[in-house]
Amino acid sequence: MATKNVLDTVAKKFIQIGLPKDLFERNRFNLLVDRNKIIVRYPAPGVRSEVIETPTGVKTKVYVEPGTKLEEPVTLCFGAAETTEVQTTEGEIVVGEGADVKFQVYGAMAEGIKLKHKNKLKVRVEKNARFEFLDLHYNGEDTFVELDTETDAYIGENAYFRSVFKQTRGRAGKVRIVLKAQVDKKGVAVFETKMIGKKDDEIYVEDVIHLNGEESRGISKSRIIAVDETKATFVGETYGNAPRCRGHIDCSEVIRGKDVTVKAVPVVVVNDETAKVTHEAAIGSIDKKQLETLMARGLTEDEAVDVIVQGMLR
Amino acid sequence: MAPLLTVNDVKLTIDGRPILKGVNLVVNEGEIHAVLGPNGAGKSTLASLIMGINDLKEPDSGEIIFQDKLVNGLDITERAKLGITLAWQEPARFEGITVEEYLKLSGRNNPELDVVECLELVGLDCSYLNRFVDDTLSGGERKRVELASVLAMRPKLAVLDEPDSGIDFASMEDIANMIKTMRDRGTTVLMITHREEIAEIADRATLMCDGKVVQTGNPKDVGQKFKTMCVKCEVRNPELVGGE
Repeated sequence: MATKNVLDTVAKKFIQIGLPKDLFERNRFNLLVDRNKIIVRYPAPGVRSEVIETPTGVKTKVYVEPGTKLEEPVTLCFGAAETTEVQTTEGEIVVGEGADVKFQVYGAMAEGIKLKHKNKLKVRVEKNARFEFLDLHYNGEDTFVELDTETDAYIGENAYFRSVFKQTRGRAGKVRIVLKAQVDKKGVAVFETKMIGKKDDEIYVEDVIHLNGEESRGISKSRIIAVDETKATFVGETYGNAPRCRGHIDCSEVIRGKDVTVKAVPVVVVNDETAKVTHEAAIGSIDKKQLETLMARGLTEDEAVDVIVQGMLR
Repeated sequence: MAPLLTVNDVKLTIDGRPILKGVNLVVNEGEIHAVLGPNGAGKSTLASLIMGINDLKEPDSGEIIFQDKLVNGLDITERAKLGITLAWQEPARFEGITVEEYLKLSGRNNPELDVVECLELVGLDCSYLNRFVDDTLSGGERKRVELASVLAMRPKLAVLDEPDSGIDFASMEDIANMIKTMRDRGTTVLMITHREEIAEIADRATLMCDGKVVQTGNPKDVGQKFKTMCVKCEVRNPELVGGE
């Protein structure tokens, strides 16, 4: 574990790029990793974990005991305060039967650094459990990250899993996000991705949901704001494989700039006559009526755009 | 009362079709002024020209003067900063913005802003503060929030485009009272409507038909003229009945 000086240095750099100060002041972290070093580790009640430092990052195994219900989120941070060639994180999370927990995970890449971040995560949400995974990314404006992250989730009978990937501060960099879920009987999977790309950022998001159990549900929602010369692609695939399952893909992408390229690819496959999967996709500039409404209240066009975009990314 | 807004001989043609054919209108400071007329009369186009929305920053000819300042060519923000605002017939929806945030944005230059009071004046309670201004609000709720946001801003002139649409009949009295409160707090109201019973809450009214002003005066007289003239006219000329 690190000394207070190391923690203070990391805190300063992460707060500079927008991480809430309160996280450090109130010692909110259950796990804080800088590159491949564990800086803070503090157990959460009902949560067993194993964290191993590797040459390029960390490997974690987390087991939430059945029936565990936590009011406060389990708070984790995987970041880099300095440039390093590559950071690799591998994780496995099992949420035991009937548990109800929320993980708040911060990705913090300090101002000016460059790195490749690779992440693989396996999630298993057991019967009647409820698990929310909020993955919040903070990058500096002069940071460049190549992020490659894959999540594979199994959602058991009557279980609920919500995964939110949010990058609202700084540059996105070159990003590939793949989220896959197998959903059992009456299970629910909700995937949300909210990102803003600037300059020559490249964003690729792929959500794949297999609704395998009767009456299972899946929602895949993306909100991508593409500015300057950003290239962004969203692929949403939902497979309705079981009786009375329901899926929906909701993709809305806003472009601001002449050299932006944005693509949305919804794939809807239904293998059962009682299953229903729908999709809606919209790509375009900021809605004119929204803009004019805020301008009629005295906001400038730039202020109005900012309000609308921040609302969409919330 | 001194004129706050003067529309002088305003003409506008869109896609070769004359929409406004020399409109003259004076809205006095401190009054509720109703612009009444059938669908297609040019009322909403006139409202758009006053606010500068829908790419209508200036007419083909004529002047729009607000407090002795020519507003032709000014953008929406500049007009709002002069003290003009507009509430849309069908207001925009905003993802991720709460009612409280929306009202605070609208009233950011109002030192006496009280968001709870603004909501109460439109018949909504404080539980709405945490609601989002998105599709989860019904049409009537969204409309009330829009009127609350005008109250929050406390402009010199509020252009209300069909403030009664989407509001159930039983709630019309609330809306009428809210518009009167707006006036009593120093906001002049220009209200666009095609219902003479709504126009009756105004201090003065103007009847528009086919891009022209037909009559300005007492709301009852103007309403009577509307009933006798425009209803017959719509029957004779169904092409006048349509979207604006």
